This record gives sequence, C-alpha cells and structure tokens, in this order.
Amino acid sequence: MKALELIGKGEEMHGRAYIKSDKEEASSIIKKLKENGFDHFVMLSCVDWIDNNEFELVYHLWSYEHKEHVMVSIILPRDNPSMSSMHELFPQIETYEREIHEMYGVDFEGNNRLTPFMLEGWHDMPPMRKDFDSKKFAEDVFDSIPEIKEEEDEGI
Amino acid sequence: MVVEKIAVIALYTTIAMFVGILFMGVGRKIVARVHNRVGPPVYQGFIDIAKLLTKKTNISHGWIYDLALLFSMTGIMLTILFLPIGGVKLLSMEGDAFLVLYLLAIPALGFALGAGASGNPNAAIGVMRALVMMLSYELPFVITLIALMIYYDTSSIAQIVEMQHAKWAIMIPPFVLAAAVADMALQGMLMEAPFDIPTAPHEIASGPMAEFGGKHLGALMIYKAGTIVAYTTLFVDLFLGGGVVMHDGSVLAYLANFAVWFILIFLVFTLSLLINTSFPRFRIEQAFKFYWKYEALLAFISLIWVYLMVIS
Amino acid sequence: MGLFDGDIMKYEDWNKISRIASRKSLWMVHFCTGCGAIELPPVMTSRYDMERFGMGPMATPRQADVLLITGYLTVKTLKRVVNVYEQMQSPKYVISFGSCPINGGMYWDSYNTVKRLDRYLPVDVYVGGCMPRPEGVMNAFLELMKLIDEGKARGWEKYQKYYEQYKRNQKMAFNFEREKDEGA
Ligand code: SF4
Repeated sequence: MKALELIGKGEEMHGRAYIKSDKEEASSIIKKLKENGFDHFVMLSCVDWIDNNEFELVYHLWSYEHKEHVMVSIILPRDNPSMSSMHELFPQIETYEREIHEMYGVDFEGNNRLTPFMLEGWHDMPPMRKDFDSKKFAEDVFDSIPEIKEEEDEGI
Repeated sequence: MVVEKIAVIALYTTIAMFVGILFMGVGRKIVARVHNRVGPPVYQGFIDIAKLLTKKTNISHGWIYDLALLFSMTGIMLTILFLPIGGVKLLSMEGDAFLVLYLLAIPALGFALGAGASGNPNAAIGVMRALVMMLSYELPFVITLIALMIYYDTSSIAQIVEMQHAKWAIMIPPFVLAAAVADMALQGMLMEAPFDIPTAPHEIASGPMAEFGGKHLGALMIYKAGTIVAYTTLFVDLFLGGGVVMHDGSVLAYLANFAVWFILIFLVFTLSLLINTSFPRFRIEQAFKFYWKYEALLAFISLIWVYLMVIS
Repeated sequence: MGLFDGDIMKYEDWNKISRIASRKSLWMVHFCTGCGAIELPPVMTSRYDMERFGMGPMATPRQADVLLITGYLTVKTLKRVVNVYEQMQSPKYVISFGSCPINGGMYWDSYNTVKRLDRYLPVDVYVGGCMPRPEGVMNAFLELMKLIDEGKARGWEKYQKYYEQYKRNQKMAFNFEREKDEGA
C-alpha cells in the first residue's frame, strides 16, 4: 500500500493502512501524508480502552489519487490526556477536536475553541467515557422528576 | 338614497370577501389536484377563518399591530369599491385609474406597518422584500395601464369597461402583449410563485405573517381573500371588459353580468394558480430584474404600438 | 366574552362551534425533533394527503394548533420545544410519536434524552411504534379530531392549571447538575 511505503511502517488491516504512531510523531506523519495525495481528512475518532487505561485517537485520511484509506492511531494515557491540535493542517479538525474534548475530556493544545459544543449545561464527567454510568445517571436525574399530580375533579 | 348606497356598498364588500374566501379553498383544491392529491373541501377557507377567529388566546404587539390590519382591510375594500364589478359602478368617477393605483399601495403599507410592529426579524425581511416586489411589478403594470388610457382616451376604469362593450381589450393585438405583462404583474400582486419570496414559508418563516396568530391571522386571511378579488377584478376590468355581456339594464342583464364576472375572475385566478404550481420561486433581485427588464420592455413595446395605432 | 355570554349565544354553543372549526382545520408547526420527521413527507404528500382533513404545515408556532413531537427529545431540544409550545395560541394540542417520548424507548438509559414527555408537556395523543408508520400517524390525527369533537383534548387547559408543576419539572431537567452543585 502506498501509505505504508511512504511512512515506512504500519500494517494492512481490512484493506486499510493502519499506522501506529505517538504524540510527537503524529503531526509530521499526517503532514507527510497530506503532501503526498492523502488530502481528504475524513474524521477523528476516539476509543476508550478502559482495561489498558488508555485512549486511542484515530485520524482517518483518504486519498482520491491512490484510492486508499489510512488510519493513524495514537495512544494517550487515560488521566489528563492531551494532544496538540492539528487545525493548521486541516481546519475541519477543530470541530472534531471540540467534540472529542466534550465527549471524552481530551485536551487539545493550540485549539482555542474548546467551548461547550453539543451538551448544554453539562457539569458531570464527559459522558462517552466508559466509567460514566449512563444508566445510573438517567435514573438519578430523570426518574427523580415527579409526575404531574392532577386533582380529582374532572371539569378542568 | 345615502342609506341605500351604503347598504349596496356593504353588500358588495361582503360578497367580495365571501368570494375571496371561497376562492382560497378552491385554490387549495386546484393546487392539490395538480399535485395528484385529493385536497381539502372547497369551503376550507371558511373553516380556517372560523377556527382562527374562535381561538381562545391572542397575542397583541401594541396598537399599531392591531390597527394596521384594519388599515390594510380598509385599503383593499376601498379598492374593490372603485372597481366596477360586473359593470356595476359603486364609487367610480373620472380619473379613478390613478386613485386605484394609489389605493393598491395602502394594503401593502398597512401590512408592512403591522409586520414591523410585531418586531420579528423575519417579518422585517419579508416586509422589505414585499415593498421591493411592489416597486418592481408596479412599473410594467403602470405602463400597460397608460397604454389602455391612451387607447380609450379616458382615465376612468368604469369608462374603460364601458368602451369594451363592442370588443374586449384583449382582442386588440397590442393588448394581448399588455395583458400578458399585466398577468405576470398580477402574479406578483397576489404573491404567488414565482414571486412569493416575500412570504416564503421555508426561508423566512412566512415573512410578514411570522408573528400573526389567532384572531389577527384570521383578519389577515380575510384581507388576503379581499386582495384576490380586488386584483383579479382589476385585471378583468382592464382587459376582459369587466365581464359585461348584456347592457340593457334589466335584472337579467345584471345577473348575467355578475355571473360572467365571477367566471372570468375565477379563470384569471386559476391561471395564476397554475403558474404558481409549476414554477419555483425567484429570488428578490431576480424578480426585480424580470419585471424591470423583460416585462417593462414588453410593456413599452405595447405602449408604442398603441400610440402608433392611435395617431394613425 | 360578554357578547357570547348568553346574550346572543350560550358560551357552550360557542365552544361547540369553535371545536367543530378547529377539528377540521388543524395546522401543525414545522418542528421535527427525532427520527419521526421522515414519516411526515408521505403523510403530507399525495400518498396519504393529510390536507384532506384540512391539516397542513405552518411556518411559525404562532399560526399553528398542533405540535408534533416526532421522536426522542434531548434536554437541549426540550428547551426549544417548551418555547415553541408556549408561543402557540390555545387551544393547542400535542401529539407525540414513537416510544421515545412515552418511556424513553431505545434511549431508556441515555444521559441526554428525557424519558417521559408527559412530565414536561401535556400530551393529547400518543402514537406507539418505533417509528409509527404513516397509517399510524393518520390514525392519530383522526383520534385527535375525535377527542376535540368530544371536548376531551384539554392538554392546554391542563398546562395552564398545573403550570407550576410543569415549570418545576422543566427546570429540574434543564439544570440538573447545577442544582445538585448548589444544593451540596
Ligand atoms: S421511537 Fe424509535 S424511531 Fe422514534 S425517535 Fe425513538 S428510536 Fe427513533
């Protein structure tokens, strides 16, 4: 695969190139890929590997030239995860970073738009983390809301 | 005498409003048939207005908002009174073609006043567009009106109607062109597509009507019904002889004229609806360009043609 | 109300006329929240054609009579829905689609969707299913018309009467965390 030749490491996975990288190296890899035809940034996703106590950030890129999908993966520690922002390379990364900041609490240095995004008035732990107990939260919040008590008389 | 006159005037405005409300229902039915749907019953307009007028709560945005509706309604009723309906003159007089041109602006201004008082930003955009639209369709329409006035050598709509007894204006070649221009202007007056951008429901949330609800909206619909009758009658009076087929002054002639007037305004309204259902909308600057460039040009051609006919 | 308070017509008769008119001319506000919005185009267009019953979409809440909750409601959307509902002119009705507004549906343990709509807004007709088919939606409309005719669709009166309870519940859902912080 073209991407693997270019970077010189990584493996093929289900027809996609999968490159393991780390925090420092990632931006130079993505820059190199961008300069060599991988100029469509598809998305940035995040996986919570709670057993290993780490987060995995995955940068997906696509090339129209080589018809190839590359995933660049970065492992971050679960406590105080932080990563440098890449919105200079692809401006749309800013929005993905906002979402991941809100849903997982990953900090992106250099992105100064990490304001509340989709959740309004949220003060709990970021809800997509696996140790956030969604069911308990829903029970606590929504089941505690009382029903409307109607008086007996029929003629409202 | 005065009492009689007032009674006749009241009767005519009431009939005009009823016809207008009926037309709204019929119009929805026609549009539905074009879409291959069943559509609402033809009396739907009456049900809608009854529902709106019996709403239990009503929000007012101050007295300008309340009075502006009356202002528009008065304007449209006055317009109807100055137009011969089936050849019956109510308040016609010499020079009323100019008067009607002025009166036609009043409802739009009242509408603008009410929408402005409601303070909704969408309403403000809608009103601005409605006023630009008025400015655009007025130019070609006035030119065709001048052509008619030159040809018939009068500035009274009643007289234009009378002089078409022998031959409707639309049977004279230059006025075919003029009628086509006036019909597109009518499209803009009725705010039907392709000129419905002032009240576009999806872009600006129905524009000037955005804040109207309950009884105010009911009044607005009655006003809308009035505009349908007023504008189609204006077209019929100018180009189709006002629907006058018999002129011996008998009761039979009176009824026949009324029936023909009704059929003609219905046909004009149907034509406008069919244009409405088959075209998407123009943006406001496209509409302006359409009216001031192509329509005005055609209107000028008909004006010059008429002028040459008259002097030769 | 003086005019209709027995002088010309009894208030009940007047109410009846109002009900007959509003049953045949229900305008709904274009505010689609969840998956169910996709079921409305077939209901509106030539396949099921709800204009037969005088129903139609309206652009703003001021002009509308029916509020359709077409699916799950997040807390964020609920704020907007309450705004829309309070702008509508009564008599106004609420129809809720699908199992999400009934008990949470497949979002029963979600952190962000309100589970039971009737704790925040008075609902007149529920349509079950995930998602109800257009036939179900049409059926709900007919049911609502029947309820209006019998004078049983009184959600808006309930909302006025128990306004404080509804407001309290809405506030609880909106500021859940803040209140907990302040309380602690
Ligand atoms: S009931 Fe089903 S279809 Fe409806 S909103 Fe919920 S998940 Fe979507």
